[in-house]
Amino acid sequence: MALYYRSSILSSMIVGGPIINVGSMIRGVRYGLKEYGSQGILVFLVVLGFFLQGCGLVFDAVELVQPLARDEMSAICSRGQLRVGISVEPFRPFVFPAVYTDEGVRVTGLDVELIREVADALTTYCGGQNPIVPTLHLTRFRDLFIEMNEGHLDLFVSSVGGNIPGARPVGLWFSIPYFHNGGIGAMIRTPEVAEKIRTKFQKQPGSPDTLAATQAGLAGLTVAAQRGRTSHLYAEANLKNIRLLLCDSLPAAIEMRDPPIDVIVSTHAILDYVTKHVWPDWRLLTRNDGTPLVLTQESFSIVTVEEHRRLQWFLNNLLYRLEESGRLEHMRRRWLEEDYAPTRRAATEGLPFEVSKVPEHYDQGQCRFATGR
Amino acid sequence: MKSRVLLFISLSLVFFLTWSSIGWSQAPREEAETTAQHLATLLNVGRLIVDRNQTLINDPRKGDKGFTPEVFEHEVVNEFIRQTHMDLKHLPSHLPSLAKEVLPLLLQSSKEVVADAQLVINQRGIGYKNFIPATFGSQAARKFSNRSHVKIKQTALNPRNLKNTPDAYEETVLKRLATQPASNTPVTDWIDNETTLRALTPIYYSKDCLDCHGNPKGILDISGYPREGAQEGDLAGAISIQIPVESR
Repeated sequence: MALYYRSSILSSMIVGGPIINVGSMIRGVRYGLKEYGSQGILVFLVVLGFFLQGCGLVFDAVELVQPLARDEMSAICSRGQLRVGISVEPFRPFVFPAVYTDEGVRVTGLDVELIREVADALTTYCGGQNPIVPTLHLTRFRDLFIEMNEGHLDLFVSSVGGNIPGARPVGLWFSIPYFHNGGIGAMIRTPEVAEKIRTKFQKQPGSPDTLAATQAGLAGLTVAAQRGRTSHLYAEANLKNIRLLLCDSLPAAIEMRDPPIDVIVSTHAILDYVTKHVWPDWRLLTRNDGTPLVLTQESFSIVTVEEHRRLQWFLNNLLYRLEESGRLEHMRRRWLEEDYAPTRRAATEGLPFEVSKVPEHYDQGQCRFATGR
Repeated sequence: MKSRVLLFISLSLVFFLTWSSIGWSQAPREEAETTAQHLATLLNVGRLIVDRNQTLINDPRKGDKGFTPEVFEHEVVNEFIRQTHMDLKHLPSHLPSLAKEVLPLLLQSSKEVVADAQLVINQRGIGYKNFIPATFGSQAARKFSNRSHVKIKQTALNPRNLKNTPDAYEETVLKRLATQPASNTPVTDWIDNETTLRALTPIYYSKDCLDCHGNPKGILDISGYPREGAQEGDLAGAISIQIPVESR
């Protein structure tokens, strides 16, 4: 019987089960008490101690044969999949809304092309025998950070700015930028708002102060921003005298009729695209000389967790190489400047995604006034 | 006398064998041709239902469109009854066994395509979603073909999707159809030593198709492809079906 307990502990170690099997220990103590009294317990504990002492050696041996705790890069290589989070709310031209193609449901955009680059580079890193397949998890923007922290993702890419105060949650790491001109801009529907801002700029003698003119120009207006995005953080911190409306997505802000929205603040590059291609009723807010009004600079990064040091270096080195070779610049021009139909690009180069992971019956959400201002 | 009896028996045997072999080969051929015709009709009905619901599917103001796989199935079943007088839910007993096997499979594959597209269809704030008869048909045909020895494909002389490029047989038939007056009759041929049925059912452009496939020729349509400059009634392509009879 004692031999049975010894072997059960030993086998649990060998097969990788729990080293200290509490059930076995209790049964062992009971058996020792019943059969041999206190002497039995002593013998059992001595035997147990003997085996526990050897646990480290057993672990070392197993680690040598097959590492138990692999680093994140080895895990990606052995899995053959790169788990990438991407926002279900569209950020055109970085992430376009999912469309149906001859190949099934696909998502495309600059961020998706970047994901392809990362997956291709990982394929090379992993030996090139089997391709590393990017598995896209379309998730609400606010949930990307949670999914990442809970270990469901290797990384996420969704035009996320990392250099705005408050934009970096604890535990997450932001790569070097893949997009530099992601400043926060604004769009309007009625010319009166533009006129109000221009008047404030005209009142400034000498070099203009964008923040002061914007604060004065937008005072009393209803300004919408997407909840959790950097434009929200900017508005909270800098635009005190506005009625701030927080929307779940940009389309939700566009749809909002009551109260009517005067200004939408968001990433300038996104607003530039949507005012030209999606919502022609809206136009970019400009300075008096006609150049777009950009409220602050922002650069976009790939996000992963703080502990994934090897993946972080891999991403930074890759982005540096892509920048150095002109590939990133080509990608940026391709999506921001060229005339193209996103549907066709989705059909030819879009990526599929895990439909089961998408929030059911996703809609663009709602807008609510910010509280506690 | 004995030799006469022997001769009679021999002739009877030859006659029986010849007759039976004709009978055995004739039945699968007819069965395959009937099946091909019904399959093409069913895929076309699915395309038609998607087309009828296009305005709803592309409505940016609505989230949940209610165009569920079950609603799609209901409309397909009704339209199929209207066109063929056959209920897909209770297929008639006289229908070839092959048709009884593959028609429910195509209906199921078509429903799955609509199910897969729910996320795209139910997006609010997004208008054109590219869930159109052509993309529906491509996926339904592919899903079905992956599960059956019968193969279905949408094809055209100048397909937008290169996976729909016609093979040599399809190209020959399509070129012939393009010069002939419109007809819904499928073109059927037995190839590979009479062991494989090839059937092409032509599809013609309707008015609705011309938004994307009509004029001005060469100008990009909403999905980014150059318009073909087609006229109503022109040949758009065909539903191509292959049924190998000996592999069953």
